[in-house]
Amino acid sequence: MNEKLIKYISEQLLNNELEDDLEAEDDLLGDGILDSLGMMKLILYIETEYEMKVPPQDMIIENFMTVQHISNYLAKQRS
Amino acid sequence: MKRNYKALTQSQLSIWTGQQLNPEAPLYNMAHSFDIEGFIDNESFKTAFDQLIERAEVLRTVFSVIDGIPVQSIQTGCEKTIEILDFSSKKPKEIKNWMKRRSQINFDFTKPLFDSVLIKVNEQRHFWFLNIHHLVTDATTSTILYKLQVELYKSILEGSTPKIKDVPAFDDYLVYKAVQKKLPISQTIRDHWKTKIDSLTVPLKIYGKECSATTSLANRVSLKLGVDRSKRLKDLASRSEIRSWTQDLTLFNLFTTAIFTYLHRVSGQQKFAIGAPSHNRSTKSFKRTPGLFIEIFPLLSDFEDKDTFFSVLEKVKLETNDYLKNAQPGMSSPELSRSFNVVLNYINVAFPDFNGMPMQSEWIHPEHCDPGHQLRCHVYDMNASGDIEVHFDLNNDVFHESLQNEIPQHFLKVLDALIEDVNQSIYEPSLIDKVSAIDLQPISEFIPIIKQFELQAIQTPDATALSFKNTSYTYQELNQKANQFANYLLTKGINSEKRVAVHLERSPEYIVAVLGILKTGASFIPISSDQPSQRVSYILEDSNCHFILTNNRLVDNITSTQIPYLNLDDDLSSLLHESIEFKCQDSLQDSLAYMIYTSGSTGNPKGVLISNKAICNYLNWAKSYYATKEKFIFPLFTSVGFDLTITSTFLPLITGGELIVYSEADHGPDISLMEVLAQNKVNSIKLTPSHLALIRGADMQHSNIKTMIVGGEDFKVNIAQSIQNSFSEDLRIYNEYGPTEATVGCIAGQYTANHTEASVPIGTSISGMSGLVLDSNYNQVPAGVVGELHLSGFGLAEGYCKLADLTSEKFVTNPFNPEFKMYRTGDLVRLNEFDEFEYLGRVDEQVKLRGFRLELTDVEANLLTHNNVQNTAVVIIENEKVIPEHEVVNCLNCGLPSNYPNTDFDEHGVCHVCNAFEGYKDQAQKYFKSEEELRNILTSQRGKSPNYDCISLLSGGKDSTYILAQLINMGLRVLAFTLDNGYISEQAKENIDRIVSKLEVDHIYGTTEHMNAIFVDSLHRHQNVCNGCFKTIYTLSTQIALAKQIPYVVTGLSRGQFFETRLTEELFWDENADVSTIDDTILEARKLYHQEEDAVKELIDVSMFDYDDTFNKVQFIDFYRYSDVTLDEMLRFLKEKVDWVRPTDTGRSTNCLINQLGIYVHKKEKGYSNYSFPYSWDVRMGHKTRTETLEEINEVIDEKEVKRIADEIGYQVSGESELKQKNLVCYYTGEKTSSAELAKHLKQALPEYMVPSYFKYVEKLPLTKNGKVDKAQLKMLSTSQLDTETPFVAPNGDIEELIGGIWKEVLRLKQVSVHDNFIALGGHSLAAIRVTARINEEIEMKFPLSKIFEFPTIIEYANYIEETLTKLLDEQD
Repeated sequence: MNEKLIKYISEQLLNNELEDDLEAEDDLLGDGILDSLGMMKLILYIETEYEMKVPPQDMIIENFMTVQHISNYLAKQRS
Repeated sequence: MKRNYKALTQSQLSIWTGQQLNPEAPLYNMAHSFDIEGFIDNESFKTAFDQLIERAEVLRTVFSVIDGIPVQSIQTGCEKTIEILDFSSKKPKEIKNWMKRRSQINFDFTKPLFDSVLIKVNEQRHFWFLNIHHLVTDATTSTILYKLQVELYKSILEGSTPKIKDVPAFDDYLVYKAVQKKLPISQTIRDHWKTKIDSLTVPLKIYGKECSATTSLANRVSLKLGVDRSKRLKDLASRSEIRSWTQDLTLFNLFTTAIFTYLHRVSGQQKFAIGAPSHNRSTKSFKRTPGLFIEIFPLLSDFEDKDTFFSVLEKVKLETNDYLKNAQPGMSSPELSRSFNVVLNYINVAFPDFNGMPMQSEWIHPEHCDPGHQLRCHVYDMNASGDIEVHFDLNNDVFHESLQNEIPQHFLKVLDALIEDVNQSIYEPSLIDKVSAIDLQPISEFIPIIKQFELQAIQTPDATALSFKNTSYTYQELNQKANQFANYLLTKGINSEKRVAVHLERSPEYIVAVLGILKTGASFIPISSDQPSQRVSYILEDSNCHFILTNNRLVDNITSTQIPYLNLDDDLSSLLHESIEFKCQDSLQDSLAYMIYTSGSTGNPKGVLISNKAICNYLNWAKSYYATKEKFIFPLFTSVGFDLTITSTFLPLITGGELIVYSEADHGPDISLMEVLAQNKVNSIKLTPSHLALIRGADMQHSNIKTMIVGGEDFKVNIAQSIQNSFSEDLRIYNEYGPTEATVGCIAGQYTANHTEASVPIGTSISGMSGLVLDSNYNQVPAGVVGELHLSGFGLAEGYCKLADLTSEKFVTNPFNPEFKMYRTGDLVRLNEFDEFEYLGRVDEQVKLRGFRLELTDVEANLLTHNNVQNTAVVIIENEKVIPEHEVVNCLNCGLPSNYPNTDFDEHGVCHVCNAFEGYKDQAQKYFKSEEELRNILTSQRGKSPNYDCISLLSGGKDSTYILAQLINMGLRVLAFTLDNGYISEQAKENIDRIVSKLEVDHIYGTTEHMNAIFVDSLHRHQNVCNGCFKTIYTLSTQIALAKQIPYVVTGLSRGQFFETRLTEELFWDENADVSTIDDTILEARKLYHQEEDAVKELIDVSMFDYDDTFNKVQFIDFYRYSDVTLDEMLRFLKEKVDWVRPTDTGRSTNCLINQLGIYVHKKEKGYSNYSFPYSWDVRMGHKTRTETLEEINEVIDEKEVKRIADEIGYQVSGESELKQKNLVCYYTGEKTSSAELAKHLKQALPEYMVPSYFKYVEKLPLTKNGKVDKAQLKMLSTSQLDTETPFVAPNGDIEELIGGIWKEVLRLKQVSVHDNFIALGGHSLAAIRVTARINEEIEMKFPLSKIFEFPTIIEYANYIEETLTKLLDEQD
């Protein structure tokens, strides 16, 4: 799951312009990799791709800080 | 040079269009000045900028129009460059002004859209001015270009290679957007936005401003939050319960919360949208691409009753996440843009220093803004200084200068409260600074009124003070009589502690009694003669009165009490022996002067205690405010128990004027008003708007009334206007506002022609009084914002008699000046821009009816005492509001006025009828046929009939004359028929006689002795004369045709009239329907038309219409169904061939003199001309122009002539339409009881005006979600529905609801009961076609037209449908 998300973020949101490759542990918002518009694009992608809805109360940094966080969150949702 | 042209993006297109609409305004110029502290090498800077032009395509992008479509292309080279100026002789301030002016240039779109200047201030300071048109830039672009310029300049200075990647092309974004647009998710997103804005109903009215801006001129008013406040805001943003994805998003959410709250507080609206630009740069490389990326999407507010800042923020968080998710490139639209008129622009970009030199940037506002954005709020910190700036761009049309300066302050109050305590109620902060302690000054010293009268008696003893019929009293005589009275009262133990009730009709004795009572220092309680005895007894007991004055006619009302009284019709010799001298008591300022009872909420009236000081404050003010050179001569003609009457009672007597008493008729005071006007003796009058409605339209040019004081209820501008016009020019009309609790009047103003809102403003506070507009937290609200009016000052009542709780609830301590009490009026008002109060309604259930104030619960409580009534709800039902004439707009296409019922205009100003017609225009065409077909029909039976081939209906107008000539041209034997309705103009008759003789055609005039009765009936039924006249023509011509065996009658109806009388949209719904089916339906409708009950059916022999055969024997042919002749062609033909002359003696384009009475009545009762609708169809059919139509429907009507004709035919032109607009309606459950019985019951306890005009039995009262009676539902019935005796039962079940829905649409009702009768609700044959067609369409059946008359209620028709359907199912089984 991490790979798929990293691929989407790197290609669609970053145009592969990051100096080093995106790591699953990188702080997406804190390191300025994504802004809030990018984050919501990512959520839209997740919702479409995994056919699910992220409820408003789940849209918090704790769930979306890094790609790893997102994977964990998604795994929990789908279990 | 071949160029690569590209289409514009949606954002570019809307800017392009906006610029085209305002070609001279620099409304999209984005100018920045960069104030660089340090040395700049001019040459290097210029070289750097030229390189920048080369690298950044946006600086070479130009626009042109190809085939009407704007396109953009990129020039390879660029003739433009940077300008270098040396302004070292100028002061920085001058340079800034220069830049401001320079920012306002108009760009040439065929050249690059930038203007770049490097300005030297001194060796160590430079301004770089860069202005770029918004078409190619946005805030991010500004920083990209700035940073590039820095890099390039640096590399040139250092001789190094610039450390910059290639600048991506805007083209990449265009390609990306095109791909995105095709993704399936795009449709979902578009639908999402559409659904979102569909939920909005009314545009946001900031400070109640309804205007749309016509200018792009806007001022920028700026606010710096300061480092401290900015830091506190950021601290708040870092709290975990506040935080969102990023600090910027959190700050954006906080600003959205603040601006939402601010807008909610200054509009009163709960649900509205603001626009917010999305930067739209979703990928890393787009973040480096110059160009216009931003698109504006709406954010919606949703306020509830108990919101705190935190609860609003929680909702905003969801809203902005939703917004970000759906803010996809290319998804904005003009429709979305129209959903908001406010923009919040949160900009999170910053400009770094310039190559190590400190730099301060400034965004220069070009003083113009998109007029669609009334308010723009920009939030940014572009210099990263930690001091957030908030800039408001405010449209000059919408906000006047002082308000523009207040707006940022109001916003700041909200923002500060949010920072202070995010958990507090959003209503807590006051938007304006606490008002300084009110300084109330009475206009002059408080000399008790009675003293003022006595002084006047000394000054002008021989002047006439009071007159009544043929007697009059001088001041001295009146004073002596009052003295005798006072002496008499002393013998009865009356003194300044006592209260005396005066239960008398208006009479000189009433005045003498009141003056006498005041002389003893006691207070008087006026009880008017029309109060029922039960209420009189209650007042006498409740008021603790010590003595009663009454007369023979009223004495029965007081027998239940033990209070001593004097009957003035008894032997008064003891009174006449009293001394004519009296030493007046020194009444204390706070002692009571009078007590007036008004409707209370418990079923009993409440007594309002008015002190001598209070009445003195009012009268002293009135004395000087209304003063003219003439002495006041007032009539006493309104109820003595009404505090409005205090003005007439005292004002003349303390100013040396004269009071003329008009006695009461048995039924209310209105007749005496007519007497006042007829006698024409007074020069001043105090009355209510309802009184004025009675005299509207009357010629009052010779009236002596010069001062008119209007009070008691909402005063509409259209009444004021028409009164001002009907009196001589020097009449001064005043609007005076004041609840009994604030003594007669406390806010007043003069009506002027400048007043154009629906109601005349109530004016400004009188001296000694102060009005405050407060919200529910006792915060004063800004001008324009609606709040509850609170009154303070010397005129306040002392409270309510024996109602301590109510008194302390209504009279509270003034929070702005604790020395004073403050009365909560319950009236909603706002201050307009001239600082006048505007009255906007009530916060509670208290209502005003014909000037009388009443509590609905008072009526309800009294009704509940009837044994048959279990529960009840009383409401006021207002009939369709008449839109004031100046607010009416006409469809830009057909001219249909906006006050035509249920009209809807789209954003282009086109009406719903035009828009709907677009949908079935082609279908409708098939109804129309050729002249050839007409000839075939009419000649098919030529010669078969013994006498004539057809009858031609000839009115003498151009249309019918043309038809006659054409028929003769066809070689037909024609009989011309004219109905002489008694009002054909002389010239029209000459025309007719000349035409028939020239064309050598047989002609007969038909008449009926019942014509006037038919006119009167038609006016009552249809508010016009034409319906009755037409039906008479059809009936009489059919009679002749039958008698003479003539097969055809040819009519001259215009195509527009077809759509008024025969054709409806529904007929064309079925695309496969044959024209003959339509013809059958129309014929069916015509049969029903002749069965409708009216004067024609009653008075003329219509028996032949009972036979179906009649409709075969005589067929009606509409000539213009077959002929499409233009007006020009027709007129030319008439002139050449027939000698037709346009009549000039009707004053309009008609032959008929009575026509204008119909138009007058229709306009008066319905607000629009009866020709509006058919003429709009003539325009739609291309037979008239919009201008011609507007000229005709707006023609001025000669009111005198109309009244004369009305008298002649015996029609009473109603002067009371204004009065009839409000009705008191009672709904009750329990046992069904006759209205007369219930009214009788109420009359025992309530005055006449409080007895409902309608009593409607219901099985149960509708309830709201909260379990309260749903009064809004109950207000939906029309008067014709109320008139019926049947109980109200809402439709229930699929079929009933379906029919109910259709009825509501077609008959334009807000609510239907299943027992309502189709015909009684105004359902006629055309409505029957529409209703039946719709039912057939929905149920896929073919129910015949006549069933609706056979089963005229919803319940019956629903039964019929169900039975039919069941039968069909059974058959299938």
